[in-house]
Amino acid sequence: MKKTLFLLLALLGASVSIVAQQTEQISSSTRLVGKIVNEEGLPISHFVTVTLGNQNISTTANERGEFSLSYLEPMDEELIIEAEGYISNIVLVQLLKGQTNDAGTITLYQDLAREAQEEVLLNLAEADLNDDEGKSQSVSSASSASQDVFNTTTSFAWSTGRYRNRGYENTYETNYINGLAFNTAERGTFSFSSMGGLNDASRNKEVVNNIEASNFTFGGIGNATNYMMDASRYAQGWKVGIAGTNRQYKGRLNATYASGPLNNGWSFIAQIAWRYSPYINAKGIIGEGIAYNSGGYFFSAQKDWDNGHRLSLITFGAPTERGQSGAVTQEVYDLTGSINYNPYWGYCNGKMRNSRIVRSYDPTIIASYEWQIDSQQKLRAGLGYHYAWYSNSALTFYNAPDPRPDYYRNLPSFLYDGQLDANGQLIAKDNTSMQNPLGEIGPDGSLVEQTYNGNVVGHTMDMATYKTLTDLWKARDNKTTQIDWDGLYAANYASNKADPNGSASYMQERRHNDLEEAIINVNYTNSKFDHLKITAGLDAKYARGIHYKSIDDLLGGNQWIDVDPFAERDIKDLATNIGMTQSGIENVKQNDIFHHNQAKKQGDRFGYNYYMDMVQANVWAQNEWTFNEFDVYYALKFAYSSMQRSTTMVNGRAWYLATLNPDMAEMYLGKSASDILNGIEHSKYMGLAHVFIDPAFKVGFTYKINGRNRIKLNALAQTEAPRVRDAYISSRVHDRVIDPIYTHDHAKSLTDYYAASQKIVGGDLTYDFNFPIIRGRITAYYTQFFNGSELNGYYDDQARTFVNQTLTGINRVHRGIEAAAAVKLGTYFTLTGAVNAGDYRYTSNAQSITSAENGMAVATKMLDGSPIYELKDSVYMNGLHVANGPQLTASLKLSFFHSKMWFADITCTYYDRNYLDIAPSRRMKHMFTGKYEDGSPVNGSYRMVSSGVDQNYNNAVLLDEAGEMVLDKFGNPQLAYPYNLLVAQESLASSNVWNRFIFDASVGKLIYLPNRQQLSINLSVTNFTNNTKFKTGGYQQARIPRGNLQQKTEQEGNSVVMPNAWKFPSKYYYAWGANFYLSVTYKF
Amino acid sequence: MKTAKYLFITALAVCLTACNYDIQPDKLYLDDKDVQELTADGKIYDLDEFLDKFMTEKGNYWSDTVNYRTRANDESKNPGIWLFSIDTLPSTGEGIYIRGRVSTDDYGGNFYKALVIQQIVGGKQQNLRLSVDMSSASGMYPRGQEILIRCNGLAIGRYANQPQLCVPSYNNNTNAHNAEQKVGWTPGRIPAPLCRTHFHLIGTPDESKLQYDTVKISDFVDDYADIKAARKIDGKLVVIKDIWFSGQYYDNQNGLLMCNFYQKDINNQDSIGNPEDDSNAAVFGPTTGNVGYPQSRCITDGTKWTLVSTSEYAKYAHYYLPFEYVNDKPKYGTFKGSVRGILGYYMDNAGYSPDRAKWSITICDIDDLDLYADGTGEVPAGTKWGLYKRPDGVTVDLRKEWQKDILEDSITLTDKEKAELDKNKKNK
Repeated sequence: MKKTLFLLLALLGASVSIVAQQTEQISSSTRLVGKIVNEEGLPISHFVTVTLGNQNISTTANERGEFSLSYLEPMDEELIIEAEGYISNIVLVQLLKGQTNDAGTITLYQDLAREAQEEVLLNLAEADLNDDEGKSQSVSSASSASQDVFNTTTSFAWSTGRYRNRGYENTYETNYINGLAFNTAERGTFSFSSMGGLNDASRNKEVVNNIEASNFTFGGIGNATNYMMDASRYAQGWKVGIAGTNRQYKGRLNATYASGPLNNGWSFIAQIAWRYSPYINAKGIIGEGIAYNSGGYFFSAQKDWDNGHRLSLITFGAPTERGQSGAVTQEVYDLTGSINYNPYWGYCNGKMRNSRIVRSYDPTIIASYEWQIDSQQKLRAGLGYHYAWYSNSALTFYNAPDPRPDYYRNLPSFLYDGQLDANGQLIAKDNTSMQNPLGEIGPDGSLVEQTYNGNVVGHTMDMATYKTLTDLWKARDNKTTQIDWDGLYAANYASNKADPNGSASYMQERRHNDLEEAIINVNYTNSKFDHLKITAGLDAKYARGIHYKSIDDLLGGNQWIDVDPFAERDIKDLATNIGMTQSGIENVKQNDIFHHNQAKKQGDRFGYNYYMDMVQANVWAQNEWTFNEFDVYYALKFAYSSMQRSTTMVNGRAWYLATLNPDMAEMYLGKSASDILNGIEHSKYMGLAHVFIDPAFKVGFTYKINGRNRIKLNALAQTEAPRVRDAYISSRVHDRVIDPIYTHDHAKSLTDYYAASQKIVGGDLTYDFNFPIIRGRITAYYTQFFNGSELNGYYDDQARTFVNQTLTGINRVHRGIEAAAAVKLGTYFTLTGAVNAGDYRYTSNAQSITSAENGMAVATKMLDGSPIYELKDSVYMNGLHVANGPQLTASLKLSFFHSKMWFADITCTYYDRNYLDIAPSRRMKHMFTGKYEDGSPVNGSYRMVSSGVDQNYNNAVLLDEAGEMVLDKFGNPQLAYPYNLLVAQESLASSNVWNRFIFDASVGKLIYLPNRQQLSINLSVTNFTNNTKFKTGGYQQARIPRGNLQQKTEQEGNSVVMPNAWKFPSKYYYAWGANFYLSVTYKF
Repeated sequence: MKTAKYLFITALAVCLTACNYDIQPDKLYLDDKDVQELTADGKIYDLDEFLDKFMTEKGNYWSDTVNYRTRANDESKNPGIWLFSIDTLPSTGEGIYIRGRVSTDDYGGNFYKALVIQQIVGGKQQNLRLSVDMSSASGMYPRGQEILIRCNGLAIGRYANQPQLCVPSYNNNTNAHNAEQKVGWTPGRIPAPLCRTHFHLIGTPDESKLQYDTVKISDFVDDYADIKAARKIDGKLVVIKDIWFSGQYYDNQNGLLMCNFYQKDINNQDSIGNPEDDSNAAVFGPTTGNVGYPQSRCITDGTKWTLVSTSEYAKYAHYYLPFEYVNDKPKYGTFKGSVRGILGYYMDNAGYSPDRAKWSITICDIDDLDLYADGTGEVPAGTKWGLYKRPDGVTVDLRKEWQKDILEDSITLTDKEKAELDKNKKNK
C-alpha cells in the first residue's frame, strides 16, 4: 500500500517538476477570435465551449462572451459552439496564416424544449421518492446532461423508462454546487427536491461524463455535475412563468429577476416559485390521492473585483409538502383497472386524506470565492451549509387490524391460500376423494370449472364471497380500496373509553431523517506550463444525520405508549432465556429502557432518537497533458471517512442483545455499554467510531486520429468505504455494524483493512466523431464492483417478527455499449439516434446475516435446539441481473428548428432487458439444500421450497438422474414449477413488443415583442400514445410464504409441506400514461 | 394592490390546507334513528330468532345431501345431529340485520379472529360468534361496542357445533385430527373488507352494558347430552365463583391428568414441564407443536370441574397455573376466586359421544381470573394470586412469564446436583 502511494505521488510530483523547467514560449501565430451572443445580442457568459472541429482545439468564452484560440493551423475550419441551454451551432471559418482571424459575433438560440424538459426531470426526480418501501427509482443524472450527444439525447427521453447511466446507482452520480459536494454523506445521493421548481438555479452546469478528467472534482465511474449559481451567469431582466401539467402538481408559478453584471461589480439574481396541486378527487388518474404544495426561493449575489477576485453568496430552498403513492401488486392494478391506483389515501369525513405526507425543506447557504490569479491560474474555494428537514408520515397501529387497504389478506387472491395444491391447481377433492359437488356438471358428467373476472374459482372457494370481494375492488369501494380513516378514529375513541391511559390503536407517525452538513472545498488550477494543466483539490464535509419519530396525529387517541408491539408479543419467547429477570423482560419491549411505558402526545419524539456523525474529506490532484496527437491525464485521490452513531434512547432490544452476548455489549450499546448494563443513565450514548481511508486512481488517454475522429480510453480503480445506510444492521435499535467493519477496525493487514470497502475497477473506450452532417460517439464500458454490501428488512413469517438481513461480498459487473449520433437533415431537421446495450449482473453469491430486530431467535440449531440469533448463510445471487433500469434502450428523435424560433421534436424510445429487483431472503442457500453455509443442518419444518420430515427438499428442487440438484450455469439450484416463481427474477419487459415503446413529442415557439420582450410557449407530451402497460421497475417481496398444513402431502414416503407460491407476489411501478407540461414564459 | 393582497391571502390559505391534515370525522357512530333508517329495507332479528330462522341442521350450501360427510354426522351415535353446517343468506332482497354488543377482547391473544356479540332480550342473554379475518379485531370492534350487521351475502353456520356468522370456506386439511369429520365446506372467516362494509358501529363502546350471568359449574356441565340445546348457550358471558385450578389437564383417553411441573435432570437440562416443548406443562397454554388447538386446564369448585381453554399464542400462555410451592412440590388450590369468560360447547367429531369436556370457559386475558389466597401457607390471607414468597425470603410474582430459573433457589438439589449446577454456571 505504502509503495503504491509513494509511486503515485512521485508520478504527480515528477510531472510538475518537469514542466517547471520549461519556459513559456510566445510567438506570433494564427489566431481566431470571436464573440458569442444570444438571440437578443447579449453575450452568453456561461460555459460556452468553442471547438475547432478539424484541429481539435477548444476553449471557453469569457464573461463578455469573447473567445480566442492561438497557435492554429491555417485552413478552412468548422467552429463548433456549444452552451448549456442553447442549441449548438457550427460556423465555417477560414483561418489565414499568421493573422488574427475574426469569426465575428455568433448567435446561439435558446433550447426552449430542453428548458421545459429540465423542469419535468426535476419533477420526476422528486416523484421517484414516492415509495419509501420499495427501492428508490431516482432518475439520478437525468437532469445533468452535458453537450455530449448521447447524454443530451438520453437524459430526458429515457427518463420515462427510469434509465440509469450504465446501470449505476444514484450514489455514483455526483452533484456539486459551485464546486461543493452536495451528494449527502449518509445516503450518498443528491436531493433534487432541495431546489424543486427552481429551474433557474439549476440551469447553469458543467458535466463530466463518467471517468473523464474534471476540473472541479476527482470524479468517479458515474457522471459528475457542477451547478453554477453565480449571479453573473444569468441574463439581465425579469422572467415570469406559468405552467400547467397533469403530473404530480398541476400548476406552477415562477418569477425571476437578474440584474446582470452591474457597473459596481455586483450581480444579483432572485427567483421565487410555487407549485401546487390540491387533492384531485378522482380515481384512476395520475397523482390520485396526492396533494402537492411547494414554494421555492433562490437568491444569489456576486461581487467581482478588478483584481480577479470574485465572491458569491447563494441561498436557496424549496419547502415542500406532498402526498405519496405506493407500488402495489399486479392483482391490485388489475382489480382497480388503473396503474394510478394509490393505496395511501382514504376519505376522512368525506374529504381526501393521504397517510403518507412528505415534508421537506433544505435551506442552503453557500459562500463561493474565486481568484483568477492570472490568465493561467485560478483558485476556487467554497463554504456551504445546509440543514435538510425531511420527514414522511405513515400509519402505525397497536393491537388493531392492519389499516392498509392493499394488505394481502384483503384481496380476493387470499381466498386461494390453502386451496392450491403443489402444482398450483385448486384442490378439488376431499379426503374421501369425493369431488366437491358445487361445480357445474358438464355434458360428459365431469365437473366444469367456475370462473369470475378471468380467474378460476373452482370447487373449493365460495364463489359468492370471491365475487363480492372482487366486485368491491372493481367498483373502488371506498372502505375496501382506500384507508378507512373514520374507522381509525372510531377505534381510537373506543380505546380512550376502554382505558383512558392506554395506547391509541392507530396513529400517524412522522419519521424524521434530517441532515445537517457543513462543506468546504478548495480547488486550484494551473495551466502555466506548456501542454500541462494541473488541478488539485481538497474538500471536507461534516455531516450529522438526525433520526427520530414523532407523533404526527393521534387520530383522536389520548396518547401513544412507547413500547415495541412486536417485542411485547414475543415476550414469552424472550423470557425463556436463562437469567432474564422479570424487570429484564419488561425492559425488552421498551424503546427507552430508562423511561418505561412513556405516554407520548402530539409532537413528542418516540421510538428512536439517534444521530449519525460523519466526516468525509478528499484530497486529490490531476495532471492533464495536451499534445497535438494525443492527450493524457491521470489523477489520484485519497478519501477519509468516519461514521459514529449516538443515541439519547437505549432501546430494549439492544439492551437485551447486549445482555445475551456480554462479549459483544459494546457492539450493541456502544461506548457506554458497561454503564447501561449497570443501570447508569446518561443524556447521550456514543457508539463506536469507524474510520476508513480509501485511495482512488484514474487515468485517461485520447488519441486524435484527426480533427474529426478521436479515440478515448479511460480507466479507474478505487476502494470505497461502506455508506452508513449499508453499514448499520439496525441503526434504529442498536450500534451494531456489519461484521467486515469490525474486521476493518481491528485490521492487522491490508486485506483486513479493506474488508468492508467496496472495490471498483472500470474503464471505457470511446470513438468520437464530428462531421458537418453527423456527430456522435460509440463507447464500450466495463466496470466491476467487488465486495459490495446491502441491507434489507422484512417480516419473517417463520420467526413471526421483523428481521434485518445484511449482505456482504457482493460482486457485480456492468458492461455494455452506448452509442449516439445526430444527423442533420437539411436546414430544419435533425435526426438523433441513441442506444445503450448493457449487461449488469451479479458475479458472485453474497454472504448474509439475518437477525430479528426485536432480539428474538430467528431459528434454532438442529444439534441441541439452542437459539440462533444471527443466522449466517449465503445467498444465490450469481448471474442475476442488477435491477437498475433497462439494460437495453434505444431511441430515435426527429427535431425541427426554424430560425423564426419554432421548435418541435418527436421521440420514439424502446426499452428492454429491465428486471425485477430480487429479494435475497428468497434465495438463501439453506432453503434449497437444507444446510447453512457452514454445513450445519436446518432445524424445523420450514422454508419455502419444501420441508417436513427428513428435511426432504426434493419435491421442489429439480434433481438429475443421480439425485443431484440441477444447477444453472451460474450454480443456482433450479426449482420445479410453481416454486420457481418464488425465486425467479422476472423480466419487466412486456411480452407485447408494442408495449415496450414510448413516444414523446414537444413543440415550442419564442415570440419577440417590442422593447426586447419575449414570450415563449412550450408544450411537451410524454407517452402520448398512452402506453399504460409499461413497467418501469418493481421488487420481489422479501416476505416468504410459509408452508400451510392444509397443503401437506405425502411424497416419496415423506410428509411435505408446500407453500403457496403466489402468496406474496411482486410489486411493480408503471410509467405514467399520457402526460403533458405546458409552460408560458414572459421575459421583459 | 387590494387584488394582490386577496390573491396572497387566498394562496396562503390554499398552501396551508393542501394536505388535509386537520380533518376529523364528524360522525362515526349510528344512533337509533340511523339504525332505523339503515334497516328500513328489512328487519333486525334477535340473535336466537336469527339462528332459528336461518340456521338449519344440515345447512343449505350443499346440493349433495348424501355423501358429504363434513357436516360430521353419525346417526348411530348422535341421531339427527350435524356438527358442521353452512346456510347462506340471500345477498339481495329484504335486509337481514342483527345487532349485539361485543363481549370479547383479543388483546390477551386468547381470541383470534373471532368476536362474540351479546344481545339482551327480556333480561336474558343471547349470543353469537362472528368469524372475522382480522388480527386484533378488538382494535376495531372493542369489548362493549354495539354493532349492527347486515347479514345479506354472508352465511350462518356451525363449526364443531358452535354457531357463527361466517362465509363458506373449504377446509382441505386432510392431515387434521379427525380429518374425516372436518374436510369439506365449513364456516370460514369473513374477509376484513366485508366486515367493514357489513358491520356498523352503534354508539360508543360501553362495557358496563354487558351482562355477566353468575353460574355454577353444575349449571351447565352435566347438560352435555343435548347438543342442540348447547348451541344456544354457546357464547354466553359467565362468571363462576369459588373455583380454583386443580393443576390438571384433560386427556381424551384418560380424562384428567396432572400437569408436568418444570424439572431439570441431573445435567441441569430441561426434562419436563418446559412449555416450549411440553404440551402438558403446568402453564395455561403450552406448545401444541404449531398445530394450534387451545389447551385445556381444569378448574373445580370442589364438586364439579370444567376446563379453561387457552391458546398457545395468548400473551399469558406461559404463565404458571396458580400454585404455591410447599415441600418442594407445587400445591394447587391455595388461590381461589372467580373466573369470567365465554362459555363454549365445542364438539368436532360426531363419532364420539358428548361428554362434560365439551364445555369450556375461554377467558380474554389473565385479568379475568380473580384469585386470592385462602389464608393458609406462607402467603398472607387475602393476597391476590401472583405474589409468592420463596423459602429464601424473596417474593416473586408468579403471575408473570414462565421462566426456567424463577424457582431455582427453592428447588432442593442433592449435593451432586448442586456441584453440577455450579460447574455449569462457571462454564457459562
